[in-house]
Amino acid sequence: QLQPSWRHLSRQCYDVIVVGGGHAGTEAAAAAARMGAETLLVTQKIHTIGALSCNPSLGGVGKGHLVREVDALDGLCGRAGDWAGINFSILNRSKGPAVWGPRAQLDRQRYREFIQGELRSISRLTVLEGSVEDLLVAEPSPDEPGSHRVTGISLGMHSVVLTTGTFLSGSIFVGQTTSPGGRIGDAPSSAGLSHTLKERLGLRVGRLRTGTPPRIVKESVDFALAELHPPDRRPTPFSFMNTHTRCKVEEQVPCYLTYTTPGVERVVQESLHLNCHIQQDTKGPRYCPSIESRVLRFPGRSHQVWLEPEGVTSDLLYPQGLSMTMPPEMQLRLIREIPALHRAEIHSPGYGVQYDYVCPTQLSSALQVKTTQGLFLAGQINGTTGYEEAAAQGLWAGVNAACRALSTPPVSLSRTESYIGVLIDDLVCRGVTEPYRMFTSRAEFRTALRPDNADLRLTPKGYELGCVSPSRYQEAMRVQRSLQDAMAALQALTLSTARCREKLPDVRVSESKNAALTGMELLQYKELSFETLASVFPERLSSYLEFSQRLKIEAVYKPHCDINKKEIERIQKEENMFLPQDIDYFSLPASLSQEAREILDRVRPTTLGAATRLEGITPAAVVSLYNYVQFAEKKGENGQQKTTRSK
Amino acid sequence: LWHFLATLIRLVSTFNGVPAGLADADTIFALSSGHGRCGVAVVRVSGSASSMALRCMAGLKRRLPSPRTALLRSITDPHSKEILDRGLVLWFPGPHSFTGEDSVEFHIHGGPAVITAVLQALGSMPGMRPAEAGEFTRRAFQAGKLGLTEVEGLGDLIHAETEAQRRQALRQMSGDLERLYQGWSHRLKRCLAHVEAFIDFSEDELIEDGVLERVDSSVSTLLAEIERHLKDERRGERLRSGVHVVIAGATNAGKSSLLNTLCQRPAAIVSSIAGTTRDVVETGLDIGGFPVLLSDTAGLRDSTDLIEQEGVRRARERCLLVLNKTDLLPEAQRQKLERELKGVSGLPPVCLISCQTHEGLQDFLSVLQSRVKTLCGDPLSDAPTLTQARHRAHLQQCVAALAQYQKLRDTDLALAAEGVRLALTSLGRITGKLGAEEILDIIFKDFCIGK
Repeated sequence: QLQPSWRHLSRQCYDVIVVGGGHAGTEAAAAAARMGAETLLVTQKIHTIGALSCNPSLGGVGKGHLVREVDALDGLCGRAGDWAGINFSILNRSKGPAVWGPRAQLDRQRYREFIQGELRSISRLTVLEGSVEDLLVAEPSPDEPGSHRVTGISLGMHSVVLTTGTFLSGSIFVGQTTSPGGRIGDAPSSAGLSHTLKERLGLRVGRLRTGTPPRIVKESVDFALAELHPPDRRPTPFSFMNTHTRCKVEEQVPCYLTYTTPGVERVVQESLHLNCHIQQDTKGPRYCPSIESRVLRFPGRSHQVWLEPEGVTSDLLYPQGLSMTMPPEMQLRLIREIPALHRAEIHSPGYGVQYDYVCPTQLSSALQVKTTQGLFLAGQINGTTGYEEAAAQGLWAGVNAACRALSTPPVSLSRTESYIGVLIDDLVCRGVTEPYRMFTSRAEFRTALRPDNADLRLTPKGYELGCVSPSRYQEAMRVQRSLQDAMAALQALTLSTARCREKLPDVRVSESKNAALTGMELLQYKELSFETLASVFPERLSSYLEFSQRLKIEAVYKPHCDINKKEIERIQKEENMFLPQDIDYFSLPASLSQEAREILDRVRPTTLGAATRLEGITPAAVVSLYNYVQFAEKKGENGQQKTTRSK
Repeated sequence: LWHFLATLIRLVSTFNGVPAGLADADTIFALSSGHGRCGVAVVRVSGSASSMALRCMAGLKRRLPSPRTALLRSITDPHSKEILDRGLVLWFPGPHSFTGEDSVEFHIHGGPAVITAVLQALGSMPGMRPAEAGEFTRRAFQAGKLGLTEVEGLGDLIHAETEAQRRQALRQMSGDLERLYQGWSHRLKRCLAHVEAFIDFSEDELIEDGVLERVDSSVSTLLAEIERHLKDERRGERLRSGVHVVIAGATNAGKSSLLNTLCQRPAAIVSSIAGTTRDVVETGLDIGGFPVLLSDTAGLRDSTDLIEQEGVRRARERCLLVLNKTDLLPEAQRQKLERELKGVSGLPPVCLISCQTHEGLQDFLSVLQSRVKTLCGDPLSDAPTLTQARHRAHLQQCVAALAQYQKLRDTDLALAAEGVRLALTSLGRITGKLGAEEILDIIFKDFCIGK
């Protein structure tokens, strides 16, 4: 039920209702509306839509891949990053383009403005300020499996996307005080919602924690005692639709690096008894830990602290690496133990949040709750951490919520084609035991899933589904055609080793190579750039200079991607072997251990491919399942033949 | 009651969408000892109905015998109650059995009539069917009782014909090779984890210095070990499939006679007419426990072709020179020949024999045996040897992939890491961590019934 303002709404029934206006919620609402669904976004405060609750940055290693993919599917965060970014850099520049991490520091104000402006401009999307009290639940419709069906939140709808972030049964911790809330200054989501999810719908929930550092007054920092880290000299935009960022090169704001001292460790030890959050054993993020847990886990070491700008005009700094939950007066003592912060002032103290998440193995690969028709979950409610992870799930949940409302079948992304697919597959197959963050090592086919080619991988598919605008699709097609032409031209360009040495003296062509080299093969040499090659053969190649970097990357990675192709095909084949959702694993006549049966019964993987990736499922168990699927398929085929014959 | 329960099992398995005749819910049986007349034959039964089969056929109505203990019983037909034989029965309750399921063994007299009667009696009970090729092993594998190389080792053990083959197969089945490859796998996993950590965290968080350097040295050590394992001159594979020995020489030198003498039966046609042997005659031999495939050829010729000359030169390196028909030489001439042979340098070991009188044959055999032994290696000494061409292919891929890491480590760490991943996948393919379909293809195609 909504607060009274719902009477002002234009309609009584929506296709999709999205609850929450964070990174997951905004992407979900925008995606559903792009798909053609009449969409309502309900959020506690309209003016906090698009707020960066924690760090003022976007992207990074693995996360940058997600931003590029969300952008390729016409999501918001990439373009918002280009609008709000004030410091762009590509991480891992020396480690190969497959693991480059596009990243930017953001201006909080500008980011919010951009997201809110985008949402306002989307037709079919209504934004409503209010708090959702509860979900209406009904008996399921008979032709879909599931034990419940969500019918509305007093308004009618077909699908609802819950993106509660840290607000589901959220509590805030500072020192020894605890108060209900999902973000400082904002109330948690309603108890009715938690109750319905847990008791009525019977969903298994767990509890996770996270935290944020104190914000520091910029003026009070002694920058002379910190290392200056300037951004890249040429900012690289996140979005495939942008050729440059809003922020000009000279307007970029730098970051500073400083380190913790033994004094920091002492303050942590002394304040432990005053620190409720750290004493509880709720699972926190291993990869973005609070300063307390860092010091406790790795004593006697110096830890990095990044001083990041909060915006162009902001007077504040964000000390990344100093997330803490001790009492405010101890926080001040702690930061003053750091050389550059020896006289720093705190604007607002750091705090910890504990919140409920729904064990994501209860979701399908469309992010719909398996046992409840029409209920989709995205973001931290699924146990992830990070804006980018939230945005990626939000977009995909929004697409699927719209699919359901528009009566088209659910869609999923494979882990062989995208990081979004990896993320969702990991969540629904393996579940989480700590906040889940994306890394490049989670993607088996990392060399194919690069940040540079996200548009080729996803934009055509997104357009087919309806979540990508024609203009973006046309641009992707133009790029695809140009790249194909350019690669054909490179392939057609053949040079004998003797001519190579004459024309390209700087390239050390090895003697043992074939007598002739193609342009593609030449580009695999580290020392040769596409620009150089094009300057030697301008008539053939100069029209493709726009794609110099992409062509170089394609040439270097092509042989490796070709090797992977077979493996990708095998996985895709296994992913097309569906396991019926109503199998009784306990009586399945196959040689499966009791443990394997329990895991399969709990997770209910939708495909054989998903089953192979479950922890505790041995290759032998997969073989048994494979046999089962084969027999089931054969039986199905026979059955079909019979029916056609009888016709 | 028995009928009722068995029918129930069948019904349940049909309800679950699996044809009862194919599902693992079936209880399978087969003659597990060799075919033909023998003293004792073993019939093995595996599956959930094993205990009922035992009760019905061994007259054990009240309770089952204690596990894994032989019991002498009359074995009867479950329908007519006619006594078929008297023999030992053994009860192996799952999961402590070969297949991991409930199993029973009947040790009966080995006459064909007895065996047929017992098999027919088992087959007459509902829910029971004869095992398919390799099905016992397959169930053992599915129950996690055997790893992939162990399964292969078992297959070899069953097919082993000579003593040395048996030792090698037993060693593989007991998991020596599995342990070796698992060990490498484990070390590679660590390498990969370190490279990945460096890629994902080194810019954001502090990563200790020297992580990559440690990976470098691990990779080099592993590479050297795997290469050493590969450079075994194919001893293990040779022992598994037999050493090929070719008898070559001028026409009418008595090559076919030598073959016949060695295998002690007239495998090749011999006559005094030159060129009697037209086709290659091949026969298998056990020489001092090592398998030898002996071929008789139509005679060696000189060649002007460069490649063929090289082939001949290489072949000569592994030659034994056998001079036949010593019985035709007078003693004085023979001594002169021996003296002259000693004077020639660069000759392979020489054996003077007579196929007619068997003179010198023992000496020749011992020279041949030591040659074969060098080629096969001793399966029990030092490191376990490669036994299958399949393993070699995957290990070679693994080596190539590790070389990729070394080559690309400084230019593109993502591609270098890919090399470590590929290396790990290649090793995984040997021990069975691979796609479901591939596993099936590899393992179960050449097993025979009841094994």
